Amino acid sequence: MNASPMASQTLIALEHVGHEFDGGRIVALRDINLNFGRGESVAIVGASGSGKTTLILVMCGIRIPTKGILRWKGEPVTTLRQWTDLRRSAIGIVFQDFNLFPTLTARENVEVAMFGFGASSGGRRRQVEEALETVGLTDRATHLPQELSGGERQRVAIARSIINNPQLILADEPTGNLDSVNASATLDLLFDLQRARGATLVMVSHAPDQAGRCARQISMKDGKVMMDRQTARAHEEVL
Amino acid sequence: MNHLEFAFRNLQRRRTRSILTILGVAFAVGSFITLYGLSRSVHENVERSFDEHGTDLTVKRRGIAEPFGGTIPETLIPEIAKIPGVAAVSGQLITFAATDNDDSVLAAGWAPDGFYWANVPLKDGRVPNRDERKVAMVGYDIARGLGKKLGDEITLLGEKFRIVGLTDYHSIINRNQVIVNLADLQELTFRTGAVTFLSIELDNPADQAAADRVAQTIESMGKLSVARSEGMLRNDSLFGLLTAVSTSMAWVALFMGVLMVLNTLLMAVLERTREIGILSAIGWSTERIMGALVLEGFLLSAVGSLVGIVLGVTGSKFLSAIPAIGRYVAVEPTLPLIAATALAAIALGILGSFYPAFVATRQSPAAALERV
Repeated sequence: MNASPMASQTLIALEHVGHEFDGGRIVALRDINLNFGRGESVAIVGASGSGKTTLILVMCGIRIPTKGILRWKGEPVTTLRQWTDLRRSAIGIVFQDFNLFPTLTARENVEVAMFGFGASSGGRRRQVEEALETVGLTDRATHLPQELSGGERQRVAIARSIINNPQLILADEPTGNLDSVNASATLDLLFDLQRARGATLVMVSHAPDQAGRCARQISMKDGKVMMDRQTARAHEEVL
Repeated sequence: MNHLEFAFRNLQRRRTRSILTILGVAFAVGSFITLYGLSRSVHENVERSFDEHGTDLTVKRRGIAEPFGGTIPETLIPEIAKIPGVAAVSGQLITFAATDNDDSVLAAGWAPDGFYWANVPLKDGRVPNRDERKVAMVGYDIARGLGKKLGDEITLLGEKFRIVGLTDYHSIINRNQVIVNLADLQELTFRTGAVTFLSIELDNPADQAAADRVAQTIESMGKLSVARSEGMLRNDSLFGLLTAVSTSMAWVALFMGVLMVLNTLLMAVLERTREIGILSAIGWSTERIMGALVLEGFLLSAVGSLVGIVLGVTGSKFLSAIPAIGRYVAVEPTLPLIAATALAAIALGILGSFYPAFVATRQSPAAALERV
């Protein structure tokens, strides 16, 4: 099993995880064994179809692996209910294409992730304002997604992903639909949040320069982990 | 924002469809209230009409299903009057009669010695003298409708009658009735010596056992049936037909409304597969997602029901304003009918939305998110 030397405490672990589609004709993940420590930043790289996105979806229970087991803080996660609870309280997800509700304003798109926490309306509003301020969108809070730029939409999605103070942020090509300026700003924001909150960030990326900003890089091919190494960034962080 | 606002936004987004669905539910509820109210109102108006005359029991020819089709010989009146517990017996002949301007009215012929005369509420004029012929008392509403006043003449079956009194009954049927001497109407309808109903006043109307005894005695005389006023229409085929048609249409309308809600929600769910996937991705449980969709069903059916109540009450007033209906029936949906219909529509809307909600939550979140 590969493990990061920085991962003093394992947050999520994959043990012999495999995922097959179409009755086994398509194998997306093969015998994956990975540990992700608290506070790590990890880039998943690889060509299209290598299994990066499936790995991310398996790590948050949106896809249930057909083989193997996942553990959250050492405890096996086996039921849909467990995964739903984790996604609500401990895992934030950022998608390439934002996945915002077109009928809701930026503020409401963030707030909708807080339903079911029992927070008062006022308490929710305060937390949402803080999250929007964190991503620099206070003045765009009442705008609908179609009134926002791509970069702004992704910042709303990031605000939504961090609103419940997740311990794990999963980002599936978060800059895939953004121009270079917005892409750079979005990554800055993600890494700032990850560091400030001590969360684990696992990010799928095609771009080597973006992957290089993470302390750890996992390379995938044909559903298998081909390489799992610390980057120069990890050494910088150690120094 | 709360769950209610979230559901409301989703409905607002598909404004045209939501409005059409609400209108569909509204028309269903409105139709049900109006049509079911119509059949109920016919019953109630007939009951009120007899009650106003002071009738405790009504005797009619057994086995005749048309409302005014059967006749009873007047000779039975003295026999029935002798039955213990009977205070008074009156015969009346009733028919729809052609009047002025090719119109028709409900005409009643009353025997001069009948007990009805004592209970006539007069708006204007007087009751006819005992042996006065070719005179009429006209209900206030039909007099207004026909533009008649005291002293004018009104035509019944081609014969002129002078209006000597305007009656001021409460029931719609009586307010639109023309009352003449029984002998006059018998002559005009070639039913000499016959009446349509016998109305009985009991010594003690509250004594149900005594009333039953009187009824049994009369029925044992043969070919007669006896009913309290509320049972008058029990075997009436026209009323039965009206009730069957209006009730069937009412249920069909309500069923269509529920199908519309179901269809709308099902379409909405299929269109929003991806959004439902997002909700799942951000940690909404299956129950919470189902709850949100059922809430949408509730909102659609609740708003539709409210609009339907307005339509139903308006439709009832509209029906009552049509002379052919309004002269005999005041279509007045009761509060229990309105409440029961609205609650049934809301309950069916909620139940109907469970299926699309179930379909929505059966989908894998991954598959849902992959939808464009």
